[in-house]
Amino acid sequence: MEDFTYSRPASLSDAVAVHGNADDAMYMAGGQTLIPVLKQGLAMPTDVIDLGAVWQLDGIAVSGGTVTIGAMTRHAVVAASNDVGRAIPALATLAGGIGDAQVRNRGTIGGSLANNDPSADYPAAVLGLNATVVTDRRELAAGGYFDGMFATSLEPGEIITAVKFPVPEKAGYAKFPNPASRYALVGVFVAKTASGVRVAATGAGQDGVFRVTVLEDALNDDFRAAPLRDVTIPEDNLMTDMHADAAYRAHLIGVMTARAVARANGRD
Amino acid sequence: MSNVKIGDSLKRFEDQRFLTGRGRYVDDINLDGQTRAVVVRSPYAHATIRSIDTAAALAMEGVLLVVTRDDWQREGFKPMPTKSAVKTNADGTPLKEPPRHALAIDRVRYVGEPVALVVAETLSQAQAAAEAVEVDYDELPAVVDPVQALAPGAPQLWDGIPNNLCIDFELGDKAGTDKAFAEADHVVSLDILNNRVTAVPIETRGCVAAHDAGSDRYTLWNASQNVHANRDTFAEVLNIAKEQLDHIAPDVGGGFGAKNSGYPEPVLCLYAARRLGRPVKWINSRSESFLSDTHGRGQTSRVELALTRDGRFLALRTSTVGGIGAYAWTVGPFTPTGGSARTQGGPYHFPAMHYRGRAVFINTAPMDPYRGAGRPEATFQTERIVEYAARTLGFDPVELRRKNLMPPEMLPHKTPMGLDVDSGDFPLLFEETLKMADKADLAALRAKAEGAGRKFGFAIAPYLECTGGGPKEHAGVVFNKDGSIELAVGTSSTGMGHETALAQILAANLGVDVDRIKFRQADTTATPLGGGHGGSRGMEVGGNAVKQAADEIVELAKPVAARLLQSETEEVEFADGQFQAGASSVSMNDVIEASLDSDKLPDGMEPGCLDHSSVFERGVISIPNGVHAAAVEVDPETGVVGFLGYWVMDDFGKIINPMLADGQVMGGVAQGIGQALLEDIVYDPDTGQLVTGSLMDYGLPHADEIPNMEIGYYEGAPTKKNPLGVKGAGEAGCVGACPAAVNAVLDALKDYGVTHIDMPLTPMKVWKAIRAGGKHDPHGLLGDAA
Ligand SMILES: Cc1cc2nc3c(=O)[nH]c(=O)nc-3n(C[C@H](O)[C@H](O)[C@H](O)COP(=O)(O)OP(=O)(O)OC[C@H]3O[C@@H](n4cnc5c(N)ncnc54)[C@H](O)[C@@H]3O)c2cc1C
Repeated sequence: MEDFTYSRPASLSDAVAVHGNADDAMYMAGGQTLIPVLKQGLAMPTDVIDLGAVWQLDGIAVSGGTVTIGAMTRHAVVAASNDVGRAIPALATLAGGIGDAQVRNRGTIGGSLANNDPSADYPAAVLGLNATVVTDRRELAAGGYFDGMFATSLEPGEIITAVKFPVPEKAGYAKFPNPASRYALVGVFVAKTASGVRVAATGAGQDGVFRVTVLEDALNDDFRAAPLRDVTIPEDNLMTDMHADAAYRAHLIGVMTARAVARANGRD
Repeated sequence: MSNVKIGDSLKRFEDQRFLTGRGRYVDDINLDGQTRAVVVRSPYAHATIRSIDTAAALAMEGVLLVVTRDDWQREGFKPMPTKSAVKTNADGTPLKEPPRHALAIDRVRYVGEPVALVVAETLSQAQAAAEAVEVDYDELPAVVDPVQALAPGAPQLWDGIPNNLCIDFELGDKAGTDKAFAEADHVVSLDILNNRVTAVPIETRGCVAAHDAGSDRYTLWNASQNVHANRDTFAEVLNIAKEQLDHIAPDVGGGFGAKNSGYPEPVLCLYAARRLGRPVKWINSRSESFLSDTHGRGQTSRVELALTRDGRFLALRTSTVGGIGAYAWTVGPFTPTGGSARTQGGPYHFPAMHYRGRAVFINTAPMDPYRGAGRPEATFQTERIVEYAARTLGFDPVELRRKNLMPPEMLPHKTPMGLDVDSGDFPLLFEETLKMADKADLAALRAKAEGAGRKFGFAIAPYLECTGGGPKEHAGVVFNKDGSIELAVGTSSTGMGHETALAQILAANLGVDVDRIKFRQADTTATPLGGGHGGSRGMEVGGNAVKQAADEIVELAKPVAARLLQSETEEVEFADGQFQAGASSVSMNDVIEASLDSDKLPDGMEPGCLDHSSVFERGVISIPNGVHAAAVEVDPETGVVGFLGYWVMDDFGKIINPMLADGQVMGGVAQGIGQALLEDIVYDPDTGQLVTGSLMDYGLPHADEIPNMEIGYYEGAPTKKNPLGVKGAGEAGCVGACPAAVNAVLDALKDYGVTHIDMPLTPMKVWKAIRAGGKHDPHGLLGDAA
C-alpha cells in the first residue's frame, strides 16, 4: 500500500472541501472494498477521506411512504432496523444476506452503491424499488444512476448522502449466492407498486443491474410465481464465468424471480 | 498413576495459546536487522527468458539485493531433487527428472514460477522494487491439461522429454486382469476426473532466514511440515553440510501436504541472508499462495470393473493420467503412480487388478501431496465404478458392496496391489454405518425433502487406507529438577494436537501427570531425526516412538526403584505408575525424583540417568479403514446440494484421544466435501493463466455447508504392526467423503437418468446434468489416451 494523507472530516462541506483541495482523493466508508483495492495497488490516492464522522450521512427515517437511509448506514443496521423491517421487509432481508457478519458491520449502503459491483445486492433493491440516490449536490433516479459495471453517474468528488426508497405494496428479494464468494450469482428484487411491477436483477448482467421486462410484463398480468415457469428469459448480455454461463444465469433469473414473488406474497 | 490414560478425550493444551492469539507463527518472528523479501514471479505459463534487468530495482530506495539466475549459476547451486518413492517406469527405465532450480534459469514453465528475489529494508520497498525488475520474455505455447499434454503435437515443456511424460508406471497382474475381463459376464468402464485442488492453509507459507558469518551457520524458521527432510534438501542445494542448517517450524497454521516439500523461497532467503549478513523474512500473500503452493489430485482416469452375472467382482483395471506441474517436485511423481495404486479396490475382494499411472509435465503450479496423496483418488476410482456398475447393470448399490467386502476370515490378506491388509472387520463396519443412518430415519428424511420439491439421495462408501511418510521417528525425554519433563519429537503438528496426544502417551505409559510434560517438536536442534507430518504417521510412528521411549525409561528406572525398595532390579515390576517388589511399592514420581539426586542412586548411576532418546522404526504400513455414508437433497430447479446426514465408522485401531480423532475426521470430511462440491483449481486452457486465483473464485466450504457428523470407532481389531496398535487417522476423512458425497448426489438424480458428473458438483453442473438427462459419454475424458 502506498502512503496517503488520511483525514476524518466532521461535516459534508468539510469532506467536499478536502476533496477539492487534494490531488487525487478517495472517500472511504467502511473500507470493505477500498482497503483491499489500496492494498493491491489498484488505486493509489494521495488522500483518503474517511466519511465515518460526517453527521449528515447517518440514520434511517420513515415518513410519507418513503424510507430514507443515510449513506453511512451499515448493512447490519439496515438488517436489524424495525422501521425498515415494517416498511420494506425485503430490504431488511437483503441487507441481512450481504457477506458475513464482519462485512455487514463495516460495509455501508453508500459504499456499495458508489462501488456498483455488478454482483452486489443493494443495486437490485435500488432499481427494483425505483429509489432515489441523494448526493451532496442533486437527486438521481435509480434508472439514471447505474452506468454499467463498477460505473455510476457520480461526478468526481460527489458524495452520496442518502437513498430514498418508496414503500411498495409488496416486495421480495431472492439471492442465489456465488458458491465461492457468496456475492449474488443472481439476485432478483421484485416490487409491486401502484404504478406496476418492477423486477431488477443483479449479478447476472454484463452491464450490471438491469430490469427484466419479460418478467415485469408477466407479473403485471398475474402477480404469482407459478405462471413464471413459462417465461423464457433472454440470454443476451448475461455474464458467463466459471460458476455460471449465460444459460444458467437466465434460468436462475426465472427461478429467483419466482421465489421473490412467493416471498412478496407471503409464501416462502 | 497418571491423571490421564490412553483413550481419554483430553482437551488440547495448545488451544489456549491459539485461541487467545498467542500462537507463535513465522510471521510473529522478527529479528534485529531483519530485511523483507518479495518474489518476482512469472506472468507467463511458458516463456523463454531473454534477459533480466535489475538495475532500476536496485536503484530504488531501501533495496538491498536482487537475486537472479546469474547468482544461482555463478554459485553453482544444485537443483532440488525429487524424493518420489516411485522412480521407475514399467519398462525398468528411470523417470525423467528435469533440473528444478529455485529460480527459473532459461525458461519459465508456470505462472507464478520464481524468477528473482528482491530484498529491501521494508516490505513495501521490496514490493515496489519487485515490479521494477524488468524481465524480457518470449512467450511459448502452453499446455495445462495432462491428457492433452500427452497427445502428439502438444507443446513440449522440456527438451529430451518426449510427450511430456515423466513416468509410466504399472502395478498388478496385467495378463490375469485382461483374462478376467475377457471372460466376465459384465464389464463397465467410465472416465472420471479427480479435480485439481489446493490446501489453502489458514497460515500462508513463509520463513525467516538468518546466517551467522562467524560460525557459518544458518537458521531457518519456516512454516514447514517436514523440517528434517527440507533441511537436507536446502543444504544439498546450497552445497553446505546439513549440520550447518538449523531448521525450526514454530506454530504452523495448517499444512495438509502443501507445506511438505522443499520450496524455492526458503532456500532463496537463506542465500540472501548470507549475502547480506542480515536476517531475511518472506511471507507469501494469499494470492501468491494460489499460484505457488503445491496443488493436489488432478487426475483423469479410466476405471473398469469386471463382474460375474450375480455381481461378484472379478477384476479392476485403472489407467490414470496425472498432471504434476512443470517439474518432478518433491513427491509429485509418486501420487498418480504408487500413491494411487496401493489402495485400489478398497476393502473389496478382487482376484485380479491392474493399475497404470502416468505422471505428465504441464504448465501449472507443482503437484505434491494433498491430504491422502493417492488414497482418496484410489477410493474415488473404486467407489465410483462400483456405483456406476450398480446403476447401469441394475444391482442394488448397498447389496453389491455388501456382497464383495472381504470377510474377516480372509485376513491377513495381500491384495493384488501388494497391500498387506492385516486386521479389520469390513462387513461389521458396513452394517454398523447403515444402522447409524437408519436410526436417523432415512425414509422420513426422504419424505421431507420430496415434500419440499427436492430430490433425496443416499450413498455408502467403504474405504481402505494406508499410512505412509517417513518410517523413522525420534522421541527424546529429559527429566528436569523443577519437576517438568521435556518431550521432543521429530513429528510436526500443523494444528492437529500432537502437543496433547503425544504428551498423553508419555504420561500414561510412565504413570506421571500429563501437566508435567513440556512438548517440543519440528526443530532440528531438538531432535536428530524426524519424519515430519504426512501419511497419517503422527501417532503411528511418532506415538510409537514416544511409547517406546517410555517403555525403555521404565527399564532404566528399575534399578533406581530397586534401591528405593531395597530389592533387586529383577524383582521389580511396573504397572500403573507404580514399581512393585514383593509387598512394597514406589511411584514413578518418586523414582524420577530419586534419579535426579546422586544420594539416592545406585552406584554407577548419575543424576539424569533416566533422560533417554529412542528411535522407532515402522515395519509395515498400517491399514486404517472405515465406511462413510451420506444423505443429501438436491434442488432440481437450481442444482444446489444440501446434506441431510453424514455417518462415519472408522477403524483406526486403538484411539489415543477420541476428541482429537473426531477433529481429524471432521476436518477431513469437510475437505472432501469441499472437493466434491466446490473446490476447483482452474487454468485457462489457452493461456495457462490461473482463473481461480483468489477466494472470490476458489470455493472453500463454509461451516454452514458441512453437515453434522455422527462418528463411531471400531477398536476391536487393533493392528499388531506397531506396539500402540494404532492405524493412523489423519487423512481418512477426506478419503471417504468424496465418493460418499458424489454417489449420494447421483443417487438423488437417478430419476433423471444421470449416471455421472465430474467433481466438483457445482450447482451449474448438477443443473446441466439434469437437463442433459442420461446423455453422457463414458469415455469422453480420455478417449483413446487410456
Ligand atoms: C468478504 C466480503 C463479502 C462481501 N459480500 C457481499 C455480498 O454478498 N453482497 C454485496 O452486495 N456486497 C458484498 N460485499 C461488499 C460490501 O458489502 C460493501 O458494501 C462494499 O465492499 C463497499 O464497502 P464500504 O461500504 O465499506 O465502502 P468503501 O470500501 O469504503 O468504499 C467503496 C467505494 O465507494 C466510495 N464511497 C464510499 N462511500 C461513498 C459515498 N457516501 N459517496 C460516494 N462515494 C463513496 C469509495 O470512495 C470507494 O470507491 C462484500 C465485501 C467483502 C469484503
